[in-house]
Amino acid sequence: MKLLVAYFTVGYPTESKFVELLREAESCGVDAVELGIPPKFAKYDGPLIRRSYERARKVSANCWGLLREARKILGIPMIVLAYLDDYSEAFDDFLNRLCEVGADSLLLPDLLIDYVDSFEEYLEKTRDVGLTIFTNPSMPDKLIAKISPLSKLFLYYGLRPATGTSIPVDVVALVRRARQLVKNRLVVGFGLSPNDVVKVLKNGADGIAVGSLLIRAIEEGGIEEVSRVLKELRGVVDGV
Amino acid sequence: MVNVPKKYLDEVLPNCWYNIVPDLPRPLPPPMDPPEASSRIELLKRILPRELLKQEFTVERFVKIPDEVREKYEVLGRPTPLYRARALENLLDAPIKIFFKFEGALPSGSHKVNTAVAQAFYAHAEGVGHVTTETGAGQWGAAVALASALYNLRATIFMVRASYDQKPGRRALMEFYGAEVVPSPSRLTRTGVEVLTKNPEHPGSLGVAISEAIEYALDNDFRYVMGSVLNAVLMHQSVIGLEAMRQLEVMGEEPDVLVACVGGGSNFGGFAYPFIGLKKRKMEFVAAGAAEVPKFSRGEYKYDFPDAEGVLPMLKMITLGRDFVPPPIYSGGLRYHGLAPSLSLLVASGVVKWVEYGEREVLEAARIFAKTQGIIPAPESAHAIRAIIDLARRAKDNGGRKVIIFNLSGHGLLDIENYREMMTKYRGP
Repeated sequence: MKLLVAYFTVGYPTESKFVELLREAESCGVDAVELGIPPKFAKYDGPLIRRSYERARKVSANCWGLLREARKILGIPMIVLAYLDDYSEAFDDFLNRLCEVGADSLLLPDLLIDYVDSFEEYLEKTRDVGLTIFTNPSMPDKLIAKISPLSKLFLYYGLRPATGTSIPVDVVALVRRARQLVKNRLVVGFGLSPNDVVKVLKNGADGIAVGSLLIRAIEEGGIEEVSRVLKELRGVVDGV
Repeated sequence: MVNVPKKYLDEVLPNCWYNIVPDLPRPLPPPMDPPEASSRIELLKRILPRELLKQEFTVERFVKIPDEVREKYEVLGRPTPLYRARALENLLDAPIKIFFKFEGALPSGSHKVNTAVAQAFYAHAEGVGHVTTETGAGQWGAAVALASALYNLRATIFMVRASYDQKPGRRALMEFYGAEVVPSPSRLTRTGVEVLTKNPEHPGSLGVAISEAIEYALDNDFRYVMGSVLNAVLMHQSVIGLEAMRQLEVMGEEPDVLVACVGGGSNFGGFAYPFIGLKKRKMEFVAAGAAEVPKFSRGEYKYDFPDAEGVLPMLKMITLGRDFVPPPIYSGGLRYHGLAPSLSLLVASGVVKWVEYGEREVLEAARIFAKTQGIIPAPESAHAIRAIIDLARRAKDNGGRKVIIFNLSGHGLLDIENYREMMTKYRGP
């Protein structure tokens, strides 16, 4: 079965709605959630996710409490997304908190970009919680092939230079290149249009991840709209 | 083409461009939107031809050169010649063989047209009839003017006012090809008007000219063509290295050292990347920059804007800062504050070594080359020649035969007035 992974910003749009969104996501058939801790600077995110971080920071200071709450209600894997830039100083404390809230894995979008030389060290440190590794097309083939088996749950592959942008890319070429290199499960994300979703899955991806699409749905129609989008995506993913 | 047998062309002129990104030693940091600003990455969609953007972010090792572009490469005289510089070898009297790829053989006088043709084609293919760009000394502008003429596009070229006034020949060259040349700052854009309001006598700068060209493209739904820095631009230039590789094979030579000059990096990348990424042999790669624009010795490897106004997304590169004001050196093509991200990464990882030379030593090298090989090199390319002379000295001291190849990215006939001024300034040999 192909995977549907949904991204939410912790505390967005409000604390209570965030929790409700997670419930709804699971009931719509989402296979795993990525929960983003608002960073100081969302370097590699596009405008929509950056906006969600700003808003989340305004309405909630209770990130860890919300993650604990999320763990209680979720039966599916919960991947916490955070920029290593914010936690590299006190990384052990950060890991302890992750274990304490019961995260299934950690995703650090800047790890292989800004901390590539310390990759092995971080891999070792995160052995308990596990690391879902983020890659993108501008990473060398050799590196993607080498690290993919080390990634927990799946390997995340972002197609575009930032989340939620509609930069034209040749989705088929990119997914085929990645598929050859990745031996474990390959989940593809970053600015996927409905048209992209089918192409991504038909060309070898094991799943898709959506984030900005859901943030837009929240902005435009709240939980109902998110539910509609997720159900539709579930249908598309299962239909391929 | 009647004088080159088709078979030979097919053997040397490649069918595909080469993209080094999948073969880099480390991940290439992606472009980044600045904090608290509108998305510059999204804006690219309205600035660049769609296919170019697609190439920039669809990372494939080989990308087919469209037939329509390959055809123009033939028209312009690709493959360009690869010469052995025997007379220079004799003069230097060192245990080395020197080869050079001569991009100055192209009609507009430099390698720049290799990407201008591709970008003009992509604009033309998506039904856009008008492109814009900026030019300092005029080489890039001439390449765009020529490429636009080949596809019947209109071109508006914002030329730094100081050059516009001082180099009427360069301006005439672009106009001869049919381009509209506008002195920048101009009254065609808000940026230009703003600059002129503050200072009606403003001499212009490359940064202002870039901003004007982008703004003019945005306002009129034209496309902006970019001369360097983008991966896609370096990829288009890979025809240089791919041809050279094949030409060396035919001659039975294997290079030990590759040298090219560096402004934004398109000439170096186009020439050296196929060797860096595809050849498994141990080779040395040397980037020659201008001491007056000391990006290698004093630059920082960090996220910065590729344009002075900060309209484009930030790129992680070796940079002197977008506010860097270069001294008025004659190698206009080397005055850029930054360096293509892929080349920055290769320099930072130690794969590519660098040297920097001041204008006086570069002038000397250019004259040595002209007096031995007969070709007047562009002042930019003379930086590479200067490096060759140093390498020859080193080889003499250390012994051991070496095969050295450099890219002569342009001829200097259009710079002869600059050379005259340089000779007066430095009272050369």
